Amino acid sequence: MILESLHPLEIKLLQSFRDKEVLASKEIIDKGLMDGSRLDMASNWLIKKGLIEISGEDITSSVSLTETGKDYYENNIPELRILSALHEGKSLTVKDISQTFHLDPLEVSSALGLLKESGVTQIVQGGLIEFKSGGDANRFESLQDIIRFIGEKGIADLNLLSNEQREIIEVHCRKRGKSKGIFRISEKKNRIFSLTESGKTILSALPERGETGKEVSQLTPEMLKEGTWRNITFRKYNISLNPPRISIGKKHPYREFLDFVKYKFVAMGFEEVRGPLIENEFWNMDVLYMPQFHPARDIHDVYLIKEPSHCKEIEKPFGNRVAETHTNGGNTGSKGWRYPFDLKRAKRLILRSQGTTISARTLASKPKIPGKYFSIARCFRYDTVDATHAPDFYQIEGIVLGEEINFKTLLGLLRLLGEEIAMVKEFRFLPAYFPFTEPSVELHGKHPKLGWIELGGAGIFRPEVTIPLGVKEPVIAWGLGLDRMAMVALGINDIRDLFSKDLDFIRTKKTGFKG
Amino acid sequence: MPTIDIKKKDLEKLVGKKLTISRLEDSLTLAKAELKEYNTGTDELKVELSDSNRPDLWSVEGIARQIRGHLAGKPASYPFFATKKKPVRKIKVSRDMKEVRPYIAACAALGLRMNEESLVQMIQSQDKLSDIFGRKRRMVSIGIYELDRIVFPVDYRLAEPEEVSFTPLGMDERMNLKEILERHPKGITYGPVVGAFKKYPVLIDSHRQVLSFPPIINSRETGEVKTGTKNILVEVTGTDLRMVLLAINILSVNLYDRGAGIEHVLISYPYSTDLGNKIITPHSMLEPVKISIKEITKTLGEDMPPREIRKHLESYGHKVSIRKDSLFVHYPPYRDDIMHPVDTIEDVAISKGYGSFKPEMPQRSTLGGLSRIELFSDLIRDFMVGSGFQEIVSNVLGSSEELIEWMGVDEKLIEIENIMSRSYSVVRNRILPFLLKVEASSSKAFYPHRIFEIGEVGVYDPSENLGSKTGLNLGSLISHSEVSFSEIHSYLDLLFYYTGFSYRLEPAEHPIFMSGRCGNIIVEGRPLGLIGEISPVILDRWQISMPCSAFEINLDSLIL
Repeated sequence: MILESLHPLEIKLLQSFRDKEVLASKEIIDKGLMDGSRLDMASNWLIKKGLIEISGEDITSSVSLTETGKDYYENNIPELRILSALHEGKSLTVKDISQTFHLDPLEVSSALGLLKESGVTQIVQGGLIEFKSGGDANRFESLQDIIRFIGEKGIADLNLLSNEQREIIEVHCRKRGKSKGIFRISEKKNRIFSLTESGKTILSALPERGETGKEVSQLTPEMLKEGTWRNITFRKYNISLNPPRISIGKKHPYREFLDFVKYKFVAMGFEEVRGPLIENEFWNMDVLYMPQFHPARDIHDVYLIKEPSHCKEIEKPFGNRVAETHTNGGNTGSKGWRYPFDLKRAKRLILRSQGTTISARTLASKPKIPGKYFSIARCFRYDTVDATHAPDFYQIEGIVLGEEINFKTLLGLLRLLGEEIAMVKEFRFLPAYFPFTEPSVELHGKHPKLGWIELGGAGIFRPEVTIPLGVKEPVIAWGLGLDRMAMVALGINDIRDLFSKDLDFIRTKKTGFKG
Repeated sequence: MPTIDIKKKDLEKLVGKKLTISRLEDSLTLAKAELKEYNTGTDELKVELSDSNRPDLWSVEGIARQIRGHLAGKPASYPFFATKKKPVRKIKVSRDMKEVRPYIAACAALGLRMNEESLVQMIQSQDKLSDIFGRKRRMVSIGIYELDRIVFPVDYRLAEPEEVSFTPLGMDERMNLKEILERHPKGITYGPVVGAFKKYPVLIDSHRQVLSFPPIINSRETGEVKTGTKNILVEVTGTDLRMVLLAINILSVNLYDRGAGIEHVLISYPYSTDLGNKIITPHSMLEPVKISIKEITKTLGEDMPPREIRKHLESYGHKVSIRKDSLFVHYPPYRDDIMHPVDTIEDVAISKGYGSFKPEMPQRSTLGGLSRIELFSDLIRDFMVGSGFQEIVSNVLGSSEELIEWMGVDEKLIEIENIMSRSYSVVRNRILPFLLKVEASSSKAFYPHRIFEIGEVGVYDPSENLGSKTGLNLGSLISHSEVSFSEIHSYLDLLFYYTGFSYRLEPAEHPIFMSGRCGNIIVEGRPLGLIGEISPVILDRWQISMPCSAFEINLDSLIL
């Protein structure tokens, strides 16, 4: 298993242990078997696989010249250049130096400073530089000697230099942030690798497998064209490694859930319908026989639109019919709510607060009989946004109309929705209250994870709703609350996460529906 | 939906039977009530009532009545409604009440044995009725008094703000009406109900004792009921006669259920009401409703003999007579929710038990299908996903900061008047700001980012009846260090090629996009959207530090 997945570099490194069970990294590099970075990779892999181990480690510090150092190697350090010019009898001013020797002002001022400090030169009137007796220029010569020594070798082991020399080097060493160093010190780890027992086994098995370290990794178009692949051995991969991450296109997990619901409804013979986000109170409430003084119509339950605040008109003949139904029941056989209906109030624009609004509009547009309709509607409620309340949310609701509709088919249909959409097998039907249905029922189901939960509400539309809209047949109205189920399916605890803005979260969320 | 706290023992006493918790939960469905909590230590039940049209159920007496009837199989009887005895007590309404708070109803309850629990429950039902049914006392409010301290007749009239004074409940000093509105906690809370008037309602007895300042507060002298009080006066005032009468009926049957004798009060009006100018309260205003048996069996989908239907209705509180193929239903005087025969039909179903109906499937088949726009939108979603884009679902509501200021545009949005939070105060008119919102919070997600959303937008349009148009838009955005106009253009180009639309880009300048790198998307001569590299000005406002290219098109005008 290990044998088959070895990388060519690993094989190459293992092969070098054939003569010697202990090898230093310096030796491997010096022999030209592998360069430092490849050795690091290959040795780390083999260590992880337990084929070799580190049995010792020492650090070698070596010194080389920086670009500035190389310049000084060729042209001497600034201090010596100034001194030799003075020796030649040239008269130099501070200004001249920088131009004559192509040195930058910082180097010049540092050199003059050091010369003055050593008492070799002095600056007299007019910026003229003159020799001064009694000074000691040895330190500059010693520095130049070291530069020369290293310059000739290219790289020198720091340990081979005297203490005095090391001190000088450290002073002139390139340090972080300072570009003008002369020397560069680099530390190199020399690791001692030794073959482990399993390393020995693998090594002895290598020739039998014919693994030479010359196996090729990539099959190329050229190999295919030229047929050279026939003579090439391809490396076997370690396929248990984690693949790199890639970015792909996919549907949003919440939309996937809603798509699932959508396809189920279509399969059950439901037609999809839509409606406007911005509604008037008429279609959102009045048509649904919610009296204008109903507590759920309070300013604290519905979002009102600022401008325009009212729609232009209520569709005829529905406006008058609904007004009459509220006032005295109209021709619906009802006593009505018995209050003066305010048509202006009906025109008030709001954000749709319930999906049933779309059902009302569907009823008013000559629906098929028998017919089944559903919508997945964004709705808005005046609520503080928290873990259980999103500022806007989806309601799944619809209607079923036809001569066959009665209380028993209402229960049958609800059970079907529970089985197909909520995938629940045990049900309870409880009496409920909705202003627009009578009888009304709540569907509770036994969810495998949540226990008994309310799945939705339904009922037979009151005649006060259907007759003014021109529908004489009984109509089932139902609505399902599936947010909690979607959250469980997607492993989400906060409803706001259904609308997450975090791309990483959306990308990594697993699909909640495997069909 | 009201929630009430009751004691299980008290409920059992009123029902006349001990109930296990699971039996109780079942029984509560008769009242459309749900048990929210049960504290075995204090014996307290928290019950939520769902029927906002049945205020008679918002009390322990009401719930017990519904259960008791079901156990007995017959309606509770409240003979006092039918009494012919002439009332000995009278309330005179003055003419000026008509404009302020025109209606009042009252009854006397005698021989109560008021204990702590019945007092707590009486106050709770008073609160729920005036708060929820009475719309925070605006339409209905209730006062309860120690009967024996009142000298009848009582006047219901208006008084000048400083004309009368009394010691209100909860205070130690006498206050006039103006002071009560200014300083008494109840005056501050409920003052707005009458605050707009120059004079305020008072109840004053014939010894010039002020009983109360309806709907604000009672007097301490007459209006403080304690444990041990035997005889009380209950009064309801309000702006709607039917609601006032319903409230006094509910309160009187509750007291009767606690063992009190109920006596009527005569209300005399100087103006006419729907029931004339002399009304004896409590008042049973109900006439029998005729329902055809066929309508019941058809609606329920269940053939039942008339006698069985009668049995179910009687267990639910109705009195029923059968005549030929119809039922005449006298519904109880504490209910005023029955507007249509369907309301009575639901009572039959609840009384019979929803669980006893066998669910059936409608047999006739119907054709299912998606709307054209939904089908089209699904097609585009598949295309985008196949092109490597991650789908996003955002909220429809946002802030004008996000949609206007940070987008550098000057457009009219659909704004919410009664905003709850600034962050959700306008309806989005395009998708792009929400894609930028994703980018602004996803700099740690590895690049490239390719995202899209198809979703509804609300666009201000004064020519529309509703003042706006709901549209379906596709917004799409790419973000990575080398993103370009041509990259996003390639996707748009393929999208139009694939869906068979011919389009052209018309160079445009738009604040969202970089100058010279933006185009109007024109399909069949109509501008349907924008494409371009997002301007660094916009990216900077959103604090996005990765270049973005994007397009947005309106889908419904593309296919409609």
